[in-house]
Amino acid sequence: MNNLKVEATQYTPEISLETYGEINIKGKSYPENTFEFYMPILHWLRTYFTEPNAPHSLTVNVEITYFNSSSSKLFFDFFDILDANKENFNITVNWIFDRENDSAKEAGEDFIEDFTDLTIHLIAK
Amino acid sequence: MEQHEVIKNPLIVELELLRVNFDKTTEKLIKDIQRHEKIMTKADKRQKQEYDELQRKFAEVEALQQEIEETQKEVIFTMGSIGESRSKETGNHVRRVAEYSKLIALHYGLCEHDAEMLKQASPMHDIGKVAIPDAILNKPGKLTPEEFEIMKKHTELGYDMLKHSHRPLLQTAAIVAYEHHEKFNGQGYPRGLKGANIHIYSRITAFADVFDALGNQRCYKPAWKDEDIFNLFHQERGEHFDPKIVDIFFKNLSEFLYIREMFKDPVA
Ligand SMILES: [Fe+2]
Ligand SMILES: [Fe+2]
Repeated sequence: MNNLKVEATQYTPEISLETYGEINIKGKSYPENTFEFYMPILHWLRTYFTEPNAPHSLTVNVEITYFNSSSSKLFFDFFDILDANKENFNITVNWIFDRENDSAKEAGEDFIEDFTDLTIHLIAK
Repeated sequence: MEQHEVIKNPLIVELELLRVNFDKTTEKLIKDIQRHEKIMTKADKRQKQEYDELQRKFAEVEALQQEIEETQKEVIFTMGSIGESRSKETGNHVRRVAEYSKLIALHYGLCEHDAEMLKQASPMHDIGKVAIPDAILNKPGKLTPEEFEIMKKHTELGYDMLKHSHRPLLQTAAIVAYEHHEKFNGQGYPRGLKGANIHIYSRITAFADVFDALGNQRCYKPAWKDEDIFNLFHQERGEHFDPKIVDIFFKNLSEFLYIREMFKDPVA
Protein backbone atom coordinates (compact mmCIF):
# COMPACT_ATOMS: atom_id res chain seq x y z
CA MET A 1 0.00 0.00 0.00
CA ASN A 2 1.34 3.42 -1.02
CA ASN A 3 0.79 7.03 -0.16
CA LEU A 4 -1.57 8.79 -2.51
CA LYS A 5 -1.37 12.46 -3.40
CA VAL A 6 -3.82 14.45 -5.52
CA GLU A 7 -2.95 18.04 -6.40
CA ALA A 8 -5.59 20.74 -6.10
CA THR A 9 -7.26 22.15 -9.21
CA GLN A 10 -9.69 25.01 -9.70
CA TYR A 11 -12.53 22.57 -9.02
CA THR A 12 -11.06 19.88 -6.79
CA PRO A 13 -9.31 19.78 -3.43
CA GLU A 14 -5.78 18.81 -2.54
CA ILE A 15 -5.75 15.34 -1.06
CA SER A 16 -3.01 13.36 0.62
CA LEU A 17 -3.42 9.85 1.95
CA GLU A 18 -0.52 8.77 4.18
CA THR A 19 0.10 5.16 5.09
CA TYR A 20 1.33 6.20 8.53
CA GLY A 21 -2.31 7.00 9.31
CA GLU A 22 -3.24 10.43 8.14
CA ILE A 23 -5.64 11.79 5.55
CA ASN A 24 -5.77 15.44 4.49
CA ILE A 25 -8.43 16.92 2.26
CA LYS A 26 -8.29 20.63 1.66
CA GLY A 27 -9.96 23.02 -0.78
CA LYS A 28 -13.06 23.24 -2.96
CA SER A 29 -14.97 20.31 -4.34
CA TYR A 30 -16.79 20.73 -7.64
CA PRO A 31 -15.46 17.80 -9.67
CA GLU A 32 -16.91 17.25 -13.12
CA ASN A 33 -17.48 13.62 -12.24
CA THR A 34 -17.57 13.45 -8.48
CA PHE A 35 -17.87 9.69 -8.16
CA GLU A 36 -14.94 9.07 -10.47
CA PHE A 37 -12.84 11.68 -8.67
CA TYR A 38 -13.35 10.21 -5.20
CA MET A 39 -13.30 6.53 -6.21
CA PRO A 40 -9.52 6.12 -5.68
CA ILE A 41 -9.81 7.87 -2.32
CA LEU A 42 -12.55 5.56 -1.08
CA HIS A 43 -10.65 2.59 -2.47
CA TRP A 44 -7.50 3.62 -0.61
CA LEU A 45 -9.47 3.97 2.61
CA ARG A 46 -11.05 0.52 2.30
CA THR A 47 -7.63 -0.98 1.59
CA TYR A 48 -6.18 0.77 4.62
CA PHE A 49 -8.67 -0.91 6.90
CA THR A 50 -7.92 -4.36 5.49
CA GLU A 51 -4.15 -3.90 5.46
CA PRO A 52 -2.60 -6.03 8.24
CA ASN A 53 0.26 -3.57 8.82
CA ALA A 54 -1.84 -0.40 8.86
CA PRO A 55 -1.37 1.72 12.01
CA HIS A 56 -4.15 1.41 14.51
CA SER A 57 -4.73 5.15 14.56
CA LEU A 58 -6.10 7.18 11.68
CA THR A 59 -6.44 10.96 11.68
CA VAL A 60 -8.60 12.62 9.04
CA ASN A 61 -8.24 16.36 8.50
CA VAL A 62 -10.92 17.84 6.27
CA GLU A 63 -10.96 21.49 5.31
CA ILE A 64 -13.51 21.90 2.57
CA THR A 65 -14.63 25.43 1.84
CA TYR A 66 -17.15 25.04 -0.96
CA PHE A 67 -18.64 21.85 -2.34
CA ASN A 68 -21.45 20.66 -4.56
CA SER A 69 -24.20 18.25 -3.58
CA SER A 70 -22.64 15.16 -5.11
CA SER A 71 -19.44 15.85 -3.17
CA SER A 72 -21.56 15.99 -0.05
CA LYS A 73 -22.92 12.54 -0.93
CA LEU A 74 -19.40 11.21 -1.41
CA PHE A 75 -18.33 12.60 1.98
CA PHE A 76 -21.17 10.63 3.57
CA ASP A 77 -19.94 7.50 1.81
CA PHE A 78 -16.46 8.27 3.10
CA PHE A 79 -17.77 8.63 6.65
CA ASP A 80 -19.75 5.38 6.23
CA ILE A 81 -16.47 3.56 5.67
CA LEU A 82 -14.94 5.19 8.74
CA ASP A 83 -18.04 4.36 10.74
CA ALA A 84 -17.89 0.71 9.73
CA ASN A 85 -14.33 0.43 11.06
CA LYS A 86 -14.58 2.46 14.24
CA GLU A 87 -14.52 -0.69 16.45
CA ASN A 88 -11.10 -1.82 15.26
CA PHE A 89 -9.38 1.51 14.65
CA ASN A 90 -8.81 4.64 16.63
CA ILE A 91 -10.27 7.18 14.22
CA THR A 92 -10.27 10.95 14.72
CA VAL A 93 -11.84 13.38 12.28
CA ASN A 94 -10.94 17.08 12.40
CA TRP A 95 -13.50 19.08 10.47
CA ILE A 96 -11.78 22.41 9.90
CA PHE A 97 -13.74 25.45 8.74
CA ASP A 98 -13.34 29.16 8.35
CA ARG A 99 -15.17 31.17 11.00
CA GLU A 100 -16.90 33.19 8.25
CA ASN A 101 -18.05 30.12 6.35
CA ASP A 102 -21.37 29.06 7.86
CA SER A 103 -22.15 26.32 5.36
CA ALA A 104 -18.81 24.57 5.95
CA LYS A 105 -19.52 24.60 9.68
CA GLU A 106 -23.06 23.29 9.16
CA ALA A 107 -21.74 20.43 7.03
CA GLY A 108 -19.47 19.39 9.89
CA GLU A 109 -22.40 19.52 12.30
CA ASP A 110 -24.40 17.29 9.97
CA PHE A 111 -21.73 14.61 10.08
CA ILE A 112 -21.63 14.73 13.88
CA GLU A 113 -25.40 14.35 13.91
CA ASP A 114 -25.35 11.35 11.55
CA PHE A 115 -22.28 9.59 12.90
CA THR A 116 -22.78 9.79 16.63
CA ASP A 117 -20.18 7.13 17.40
CA LEU A 118 -17.36 8.71 15.41
CA THR A 119 -14.98 11.16 17.02
CA ILE A 120 -15.45 14.35 15.00
CA HIS A 121 -13.93 17.64 16.16
CA LEU A 122 -15.17 20.91 14.74
CA ILE A 123 -12.24 23.28 14.48
CA ALA A 124 -12.85 26.91 13.66
CA LYS A 125 -9.98 28.75 12.01
CA MET B 1 -40.13 -23.08 23.94
CA GLU B 2 -37.60 -25.67 22.84
CA GLN B 3 -40.44 -27.67 21.55
CA HIS B 4 -41.56 -24.80 19.43
CA GLU B 5 -38.22 -24.40 17.74
CA VAL B 6 -37.99 -28.03 16.97
CA ILE B 7 -41.27 -28.10 15.19
CA LYS B 8 -40.74 -24.86 13.29
CA ASN B 9 -41.57 -25.15 9.67
CA PRO B 10 -38.44 -24.62 7.53
CA LEU B 11 -40.48 -22.51 5.19
CA ILE B 12 -41.38 -20.17 8.05
CA VAL B 13 -37.73 -20.01 9.09
CA GLU B 14 -36.80 -18.99 5.61
CA LEU B 15 -39.58 -16.41 5.42
CA GLU B 16 -38.55 -14.96 8.74
CA LEU B 17 -35.00 -14.65 7.52
CA LEU B 18 -36.27 -12.94 4.41
CA ARG B 19 -38.26 -10.55 6.55
CA VAL B 20 -35.19 -9.67 8.57
CA ASN B 21 -33.27 -9.00 5.35
CA PHE B 22 -36.16 -7.05 3.96
CA ASP B 23 -36.32 -4.94 7.12
CA LYS B 24 -32.59 -4.28 6.93
CA THR B 25 -32.75 -3.33 3.28
CA THR B 26 -35.78 -1.13 3.83
CA GLU B 27 -34.12 0.55 6.74
CA LYS B 28 -31.04 1.23 4.63
CA LEU B 29 -33.17 2.53 1.76
CA ILE B 30 -35.07 4.85 4.06
CA LYS B 31 -31.81 6.06 5.56
CA ASP B 32 -30.37 6.66 2.08
CA ILE B 33 -33.44 8.56 0.95
CA GLN B 34 -33.41 10.68 4.08
CA ARG B 35 -29.74 11.34 3.66
CA HIS B 36 -30.25 12.28 0.04
CA GLU B 37 -33.04 14.67 0.96
CA LYS B 38 -30.85 16.21 3.61
CA ILE B 39 -27.97 16.62 1.18
CA MET B 40 -30.20 18.28 -1.39
CA THR B 41 -31.81 20.63 1.11
CA LYS B 42 -28.43 21.67 2.44
CA ALA B 43 -27.05 22.06 -1.08
CA ASP B 44 -29.95 24.32 -2.03
CA LYS B 45 -29.34 26.40 1.06
CA ARG B 46 -25.62 26.68 0.30
CA GLN B 47 -26.35 27.58 -3.30
CA LYS B 48 -28.66 30.36 -2.22
CA GLN B 49 -26.04 31.70 0.18
CA GLU B 50 -23.39 31.60 -2.52
CA TYR B 51 -25.77 33.27 -4.97
CA ASP B 52 -26.51 36.05 -2.46
CA GLU B 53 -22.80 36.45 -1.84
CA LEU B 54 -22.14 36.71 -5.58
CA GLN B 55 -24.86 39.30 -6.02
CA ARG B 56 -23.39 41.30 -3.16
CA LYS B 57 -19.91 41.10 -4.68
CA PHE B 58 -21.23 42.16 -8.10
CA ALA B 59 -22.95 45.17 -6.57
CA GLU B 60 -19.75 46.04 -4.73
CA VAL B 61 -17.66 45.82 -7.89
CA GLU B 62 -20.17 47.96 -9.75
CA ALA B 63 -20.18 50.60 -7.04
CA LEU B 64 -16.40 50.56 -6.97
CA GLN B 65 -16.23 50.90 -10.74
CA GLN B 66 -18.53 53.89 -10.59
CA GLU B 67 -16.51 55.37 -7.75
CA ILE B 68 -13.34 55.02 -9.81
CA GLU B 69 -14.95 56.69 -12.82
CA GLU B 70 -16.30 59.54 -10.70
CA THR B 71 -12.92 60.01 -9.05
CA GLN B 72 -11.20 60.02 -12.42
CA LYS B 73 -13.56 62.71 -13.69
CA GLU B 74 -13.05 64.78 -10.56
CA VAL B 75 -9.28 64.49 -10.83
CA ILE B 76 -9.38 65.51 -14.49
CA PHE B 77 -11.51 68.58 -13.86
CA THR B 78 -9.46 69.49 -10.81
CA MET B 79 -6.23 69.21 -12.79
CA GLY B 80 -7.78 71.24 -15.59
CA SER B 81 -9.06 73.84 -13.14
CA ILE B 82 -5.62 74.22 -11.59
CA GLY B 83 -4.19 75.14 -14.98
CA GLU B 84 -7.12 77.41 -15.82
CA SER B 85 -7.28 79.09 -12.42
CA ARG B 86 -3.74 80.27 -13.02
CA SER B 87 -4.89 81.85 -16.27
CA LYS B 88 -7.92 83.40 -14.56
CA GLU B 89 -10.46 81.34 -16.44
CA THR B 90 -13.94 81.06 -14.99
CA GLY B 91 -15.26 78.08 -13.08
CA ASN B 92 -17.10 76.16 -15.77
CA HIS B 93 -14.64 76.90 -18.58
CA VAL B 94 -13.05 73.44 -18.48
CA ARG B 95 -16.45 71.74 -18.41
CA ARG B 96 -17.62 73.67 -21.45
CA VAL B 97 -14.37 73.01 -23.30
CA ALA B 98 -14.88 69.32 -22.53
CA GLU B 99 -18.44 69.35 -23.91
CA TYR B 100 -17.56 71.40 -27.03
CA SER B 101 -14.62 69.09 -27.73
CA LYS B 102 -16.78 65.99 -27.67
CA LEU B 103 -19.46 67.62 -29.79
CA ILE B 104 -16.92 68.67 -32.45
CA ALA B 105 -15.22 65.25 -32.33
CA LEU B 106 -18.50 63.45 -33.03
CA HIS B 107 -19.43 65.77 -35.92
CA TYR B 108 -15.89 65.40 -37.25
CA GLY B 109 -16.50 61.64 -37.50
CA LEU B 110 -14.53 60.35 -34.54
CA CYS B 111 -16.02 57.32 -32.80
CA GLU B 112 -17.89 57.64 -29.51
CA HIS B 113 -14.97 56.16 -27.57
CA ASP B 114 -12.40 58.63 -28.93
CA ALA B 115 -14.80 61.54 -28.55
CA GLU B 116 -15.42 60.62 -24.93
CA MET B 117 -11.70 60.32 -24.28
CA LEU B 118 -11.08 63.73 -25.80
CA LYS B 119 -13.86 65.13 -23.65
CA GLN B 120 -12.01 63.91 -20.59
CA ALA B 121 -8.53 64.90 -21.78
CA SER B 122 -9.16 68.37 -23.21
CA PRO B 123 -9.75 70.09 -19.83
CA MET B 124 -6.10 69.44 -18.99
CA HIS B 125 -4.71 71.47 -21.90
CA ASP B 126 -3.36 74.29 -19.71
CA ILE B 127 -2.01 72.13 -16.88
CA GLY B 128 1.52 73.32 -17.74
CA LYS B 129 0.60 76.76 -16.41
CA VAL B 130 1.19 75.51 -12.87
CA ALA B 131 4.90 75.86 -13.67
CA ILE B 132 4.71 79.44 -15.04
CA PRO B 133 5.70 82.18 -12.54
CA ASP B 134 2.87 84.23 -11.03
CA ALA B 135 4.55 87.47 -12.06
CA ILE B 136 4.02 86.53 -15.70
CA LEU B 137 0.67 84.77 -15.41
CA ASN B 138 -0.93 87.55 -13.38
CA LYS B 139 0.76 90.47 -15.05
CA PRO B 140 -1.95 93.06 -15.69
CA GLY B 141 -0.48 94.64 -18.82
CA LYS B 142 0.98 93.24 -22.00
CA LEU B 143 3.80 90.67 -21.74
CA THR B 144 7.28 91.57 -22.97
CA PRO B 145 8.60 89.33 -25.76
CA GLU B 146 10.80 87.51 -23.18
CA GLU B 147 7.84 87.01 -20.85
CA PHE B 148 5.73 85.73 -23.72
CA GLU B 149 8.45 83.19 -24.59
CA ILE B 150 8.25 81.90 -21.02
CA MET B 151 4.46 81.86 -21.16
CA LYS B 152 4.55 79.77 -24.33
CA LYS B 153 6.48 77.12 -22.39
CA HIS B 154 3.26 75.99 -20.66
CA THR B 155 2.62 73.76 -23.68
CA GLU B 156 5.87 71.84 -23.40
CA LEU B 157 5.68 71.83 -19.60
CA GLY B 158 2.21 70.29 -19.72
CA TYR B 159 3.41 67.72 -22.23
CA ASP B 160 6.37 66.80 -20.03
CA MET B 161 4.08 66.41 -17.04
CA LEU B 162 1.73 64.01 -18.80
CA LYS B 163 3.82 62.17 -21.38
CA HIS B 164 5.24 59.51 -19.06
CA SER B 165 1.89 57.88 -18.44
CA HIS B 166 0.92 54.87 -20.54
CA ARG B 167 -2.78 55.49 -19.95
CA PRO B 168 -4.48 56.38 -23.25
CA LEU B 169 -6.36 59.19 -21.51
CA LEU B 170 -3.21 60.88 -20.21
CA GLN B 171 -1.40 60.30 -23.50
CA THR B 172 -4.26 62.12 -25.22
CA ALA B 173 -4.05 64.88 -22.62
CA ALA B 174 -0.28 65.13 -23.21
CA ILE B 175 -0.79 65.61 -26.97
CA VAL B 176 -3.48 68.23 -26.39
CA ALA B 177 -1.36 70.11 -23.83
CA TYR B 178 1.54 70.13 -26.28
CA GLU B 179 -0.34 71.22 -29.40
CA HIS B 180 -3.34 73.33 -28.36
CA HIS B 181 -1.62 76.58 -29.42
CA GLU B 182 -0.59 75.31 -32.83
CA LYS B 183 -2.40 76.97 -35.73
CA PHE B 184 -3.68 75.29 -38.87
CA ASN B 185 -1.54 77.60 -41.04
CA GLY B 186 1.65 76.69 -39.17
CA GLN B 187 1.95 80.04 -37.34
CA GLY B 188 1.31 78.66 -33.86
CA TYR B 189 3.63 77.42 -31.12
CA PRO B 190 5.65 75.66 -29.79
CA ARG B 191 6.57 73.71 -32.94
CA GLY B 192 4.80 75.57 -35.73
CA LEU B 193 3.02 72.39 -36.89
CA LYS B 194 0.75 72.72 -39.89
CA GLY B 195 -2.60 71.26 -40.95
CA ALA B 196 -3.03 67.55 -40.38
CA ASN B 197 0.37 67.39 -38.64
CA ILE B 198 -1.46 68.85 -35.69
CA HIS B 199 -3.32 66.01 -34.03
CA ILE B 200 -7.07 66.13 -34.55
CA TYR B 201 -7.55 66.16 -30.76
CA SER B 202 -5.42 69.31 -30.54
CA ARG B 203 -7.17 71.06 -33.45
CA ILE B 204 -10.51 70.41 -31.79
CA THR B 205 -9.41 71.53 -28.32
CA ALA B 206 -7.81 74.69 -29.74
CA PHE B 207 -11.11 75.71 -31.28
CA ALA B 208 -13.20 74.81 -28.23
CA ASP B 209 -10.81 76.67 -25.92
CA VAL B 210 -10.82 79.87 -27.96
CA PHE B 211 -14.57 79.84 -28.51
CA ASP B 212 -15.17 79.58 -24.80
CA ALA B 213 -12.46 82.00 -23.69
CA LEU B 214 -13.72 84.74 -26.02
CA GLY B 215 -17.26 84.41 -24.75
CA ASN B 216 -16.24 84.75 -21.11
CA GLN B 217 -16.16 87.97 -19.25
CA ARG B 218 -13.03 88.47 -17.18
CA CYS B 219 -11.97 91.12 -14.72
CA TYR B 220 -9.83 92.86 -17.29
CA LYS B 221 -12.02 92.43 -20.37
CA PRO B 222 -15.70 92.12 -21.24
CA ALA B 223 -17.01 89.09 -23.11
CA TRP B 224 -16.89 89.32 -26.88
CA LYS B 225 -20.19 89.74 -28.67
CA ASP B 226 -21.28 86.62 -30.59
CA GLU B 227 -21.16 88.57 -33.83
CA ASP B 228 -17.48 89.43 -33.26
CA ILE B 229 -16.66 85.83 -32.36
CA PHE B 230 -18.35 84.59 -35.56
CA ASN B 231 -16.47 87.16 -37.64
CA LEU B 232 -13.19 86.03 -36.14
CA PHE B 233 -13.96 82.39 -36.96
CA HIS B 234 -14.79 83.29 -40.57
CA GLN B 235 -11.49 85.16 -40.75
CA GLU B 236 -9.47 82.40 -39.10
CA ARG B 237 -11.05 79.55 -41.09
CA GLY B 238 -8.03 77.67 -42.48
CA GLU B 239 -5.68 80.11 -40.71
CA HIS B 240 -5.83 79.55 -36.96
CA PHE B 241 -8.46 76.82 -37.20
CA ASP B 242 -9.10 73.67 -39.18
CA PRO B 243 -11.68 74.80 -41.79
CA LYS B 244 -13.70 71.65 -41.29
CA ILE B 245 -14.11 72.48 -37.58
CA VAL B 246 -15.26 76.04 -38.35
CA ASP B 247 -17.83 74.60 -40.77
CA ILE B 248 -19.02 72.13 -38.14
CA PHE B 249 -19.40 75.03 -35.71
CA PHE B 250 -21.62 77.13 -37.97
CA LYS B 251 -23.62 74.15 -39.18
CA ASN B 252 -24.43 73.06 -35.63
CA LEU B 253 -24.40 76.41 -33.90
CA SER B 254 -27.51 75.74 -31.80
CA GLU B 255 -25.84 72.73 -30.18
CA PHE B 256 -22.86 74.85 -29.15
CA LEU B 257 -25.10 77.57 -27.76
CA TYR B 258 -27.10 74.96 -25.87
CA ILE B 259 -23.93 73.73 -24.14
CA ARG B 260 -22.94 77.31 -23.34
CA GLU B 261 -26.34 77.84 -21.72
CA MET B 262 -26.31 74.52 -19.86
CA PHE B 263 -22.91 75.14 -18.29
CA LYS B 264 -22.98 78.89 -17.90
CA ASP B 265 -21.13 80.38 -14.98
CA PRO B 266 -23.13 81.38 -11.94
CA VAL B 267 -23.65 85.13 -11.84
CA ALA B 268 -21.14 86.61 -9.42
FE1 LIG C 1 -2.91 77.23 -23.27
FE1 LIG D 1 -8.37 77.11 -21.67
